[in-house]
Amino acid sequence: MTKHITYTGMIWLLAAQVVVILPFLFDLPIWLLPVLLFAAGWRLRVLSGAALQPGNITKTLLVGLGVGGLLLSGLKFPSLDAMATLLLLGFAFKSLEVVQRRDAIVVIFIGYFLVALHFLYSQSLGAALYGMVSMVILTGALVGVQQAISEFSAGQNVRFNLRLAVFMLLQCLPLMIVIFVFAPRFAPLWSLPLATTQAKTGIADRMAPGDIEKLAKSGDLAFRVAFKGKRPAQHDLYWQGLVLNHFNGHEWRQFARDYDVYQLKTALLSHYRWNPKSVQVQGTAVPYEAIYESSGQPWLFTLAPTVEVEGAVLRGADYRVMAQQELQAPFLLKAVSYPDAQRDSVLPEYLRTLALGLPPTGDARSRTLAQQLWRETGNPQAYIDKVLARFSEQAFAYTLNPPTLGERDTIDAFLFDSQRGFCAHYAGSFVFLMRAAGIPARVVVGYQGGEWNDAGQYLAVHQYDAHAWAEVWLAGRGWVRIDPTTAVAPSRTEQGLEAAVQAEGTFLADAVFSPRKIAWLNGISQQLDTVQYGWRRWVVGYDRAEQAALLKNMLGTFSIERVALLVAGLFAAIGLFWLLVLGLTQRPPKEALEHRLYRRFCEALAKHGVQRDVGVAPSTFAAHAAQQLPALAGVIREFTQVYEGICYAPTADGQNATRRLKALLAKVK
Amino acid sequence: MATLNLRNIYIIPSKTALGLLSIIALLFLLGINFQNSLVYIISFWLLALLLLNIFYTWRNLAGLTLTAVGIEPCFAGEKAVLEVELSRPTPYAKYALELTWEDAMQVQIDLISTQTARIKLSHSTQQRGRFTPPRLKISTRYPTGLALAWAYVHLDIHGVVYPAPVEKAFQAQGESYGDNSESGLEITGGTNDFGGIRDYQYGDAPKRVHWAKFAQTGKLYTKTFVDYASHEVWLDWETLPMPGIEVRLSHLCRKVLECHQEQRQYGLKLPGKVIAPDKGDAHKARCLQALALFGLAND
Repeated sequence: MTKHITYTGMIWLLAAQVVVILPFLFDLPIWLLPVLLFAAGWRLRVLSGAALQPGNITKTLLVGLGVGGLLLSGLKFPSLDAMATLLLLGFAFKSLEVVQRRDAIVVIFIGYFLVALHFLYSQSLGAALYGMVSMVILTGALVGVQQAISEFSAGQNVRFNLRLAVFMLLQCLPLMIVIFVFAPRFAPLWSLPLATTQAKTGIADRMAPGDIEKLAKSGDLAFRVAFKGKRPAQHDLYWQGLVLNHFNGHEWRQFARDYDVYQLKTALLSHYRWNPKSVQVQGTAVPYEAIYESSGQPWLFTLAPTVEVEGAVLRGADYRVMAQQELQAPFLLKAVSYPDAQRDSVLPEYLRTLALGLPPTGDARSRTLAQQLWRETGNPQAYIDKVLARFSEQAFAYTLNPPTLGERDTIDAFLFDSQRGFCAHYAGSFVFLMRAAGIPARVVVGYQGGEWNDAGQYLAVHQYDAHAWAEVWLAGRGWVRIDPTTAVAPSRTEQGLEAAVQAEGTFLADAVFSPRKIAWLNGISQQLDTVQYGWRRWVVGYDRAEQAALLKNMLGTFSIERVALLVAGLFAAIGLFWLLVLGLTQRPPKEALEHRLYRRFCEALAKHGVQRDVGVAPSTFAAHAAQQLPALAGVIREFTQVYEGICYAPTADGQNATRRLKALLAKVK
Repeated sequence: MATLNLRNIYIIPSKTALGLLSIIALLFLLGINFQNSLVYIISFWLLALLLLNIFYTWRNLAGLTLTAVGIEPCFAGEKAVLEVELSRPTPYAKYALELTWEDAMQVQIDLISTQTARIKLSHSTQQRGRFTPPRLKISTRYPTGLALAWAYVHLDIHGVVYPAPVEKAFQAQGESYGDNSESGLEITGGTNDFGGIRDYQYGDAPKRVHWAKFAQTGKLYTKTFVDYASHEVWLDWETLPMPGIEVRLSHLCRKVLECHQEQRQYGLKLPGKVIAPDKGDAHKARCLQALALFGLAND
């Protein structure tokens, strides 16, 4: 029996490989492309008969090239990228030597694995839909390599296999969903360093003048929030990301030392840890859940101060909430915030030191201004008002395209010379002026506002909502949020960036085809976004906690027996559904009574030693049997006559005839 | 005749399915470690596909009917050829069915646009006698190779295996074999001796046309020949000098074949069975069958 694959099977396999490899090209090193193209090209040449299967030397060379490229590419080991690259190379090279059905099946199975692996790079709805297409092609190929040469033409074969693959995968859906919902979810068994090449997006851990403007030119989604209770007013939606304490004369950083994520984690677990007692809860609670897009960074954005959170997150003394690791996948957070709560009524000394630090020299004019204003006012609140009044009364402008300020004395350059800036300029110089006057203050970066999606009942926060503001510590009030930008552009917090820079016409100026600029497109994009949100929230975000909540909801109280019973019931129902769909419940059509009697007649004669061969007409057989069994000749002839009568000349009196057959049959026995 | 149904179809996941299972397990681990819902989905989807295919593969055999059409007689040591008819009463086409004897004979067949198909399977034979084909295995892995379904079919049919003829038959003394005596009864339509001429009839071999007469008269005549059946050939068990039943049967078998080829009138004498002299295909078959079944029960 030949286990080789047919030509059509080979074509199927090649199509499956192309479909599986394609999405990886956006994420993995570009040198893979020529290698994969070469492998596919060779395969095609072999198929068309223009080339032979590559020999051992060629194969060794190719594998060597691939592995060499992998080593030279600087991908870390072990990492996801390295694993994916290695698998892709194997996947492509394996196709060079596929002859046997077994090889083809190995290729297809690796293909299935790669389809799943790609979801570690993207879990968007688009990626999922593409994954479904890949699954169909791979399953079609799996059928294709099983087929021997058949009467189908190539076109028929493609259509038939595609239809079969789609049917099978659709019929699998109910069972897949049941397993997905009920299969136990475990905590990660070991931590794998991801180290993907995924770009970091969104707010960074430092802020120089000009950083936030760059971000504000992007229309990408940062996160979505669904409120469980009343939605706070738009101008109160300050999504705190991180707090920048340290100023070096040019840019704002979190700390004097530049911590990486692991050092930061250590800090958040030790001296910079959140102290629950530092919050005096008051005012209304704002419960919400947010789904953050994968940003490649660990920052989460919450309404400060966050009091309760669900999930494994880190929390800092500055009320920040941070993920345990960089977000490589959408992340769901459930939190309860109390925007009116008092924070740090007593300011710990190390926080005070952090909030007063200034570089020893530089920005002399600003320091002089601060001393002058402090002398004029004498108390913190009046001083703050004076500084904000200065922003609104003087010719300060809010713009997405501020002039560059150089490397040194940037605060002076902004406050006295250019006076044109974005939120980072205002927040940075405001905090500088506070500290110069001895008022503890710090810069907060995050997002402000967001776009309400009425269809989906959630808030979408985009990169252009990125914002920077300030917090000052006042005795008796704790940390107070002050947004200097509102002194210049009040519409920024009420109506968003688009309104604030309307006169300038710079909103998403680079994105010519942004749907936000066209009303009806914006409507459609909101609808699409609603679907995406549902996908993120209920499919991608379905985790252990969600499962527990769902089971509790479904069963009332959770118990293993109940779940087992429910799952068994669902499995049985799906089994029945499959039997019905596949037509396995239909009984084969019943043989007519006379045919059954004739068969028994033949069996009876066989016992007497007269076999009826297949295809022998009853009359011929009767003549033969009568000759062999003279004693029964009469019965045989009559039986055959009556039987043929029923078959070829049916009369109304069929019952009588079959009764006669039965009587005659008894005589034969 | 045998119809495949729930009672006689066996089905198990194939080795390929074990391979897929390990991929599924790997993906499940990947899903756990990266807490990735979509990886879970692919893992579970493949698991569902594996289970579903047990139903699909089962359906590819279910309802199929196998009927033995017949076995052509053969000589011992040759291949017995069994013709089997497959038919599908269900509306579902059957793909990639494999029919296997236990000793490696394998045939693949589809039933796509036709309801029935006939297929010839051969099986080696060792000795003369009745031949009962061993159980036939019909199996399929269609559509994905993830499940293996099979059924054993005992076909209720018997064939006859003639004794293997010896290379050259023993020539007994005094046997009238080959003796062309003039005194016997002439049998027209023979090949040996010139009998006369008659008018040409359509279909007569050119070799027999009397060309000399044609040259003389311009009319076609056909030469006729006669055989002499005076000494009916008796193939007699008792006259064979060699010992051993099988050896004698093999000799007789060869002689039957020789006599048949030479269009002789021959009879067969076996202990307890005598077949009167005759000629023709049916007679040959009767003689060979008698040899095949000699000494066996239920003759």
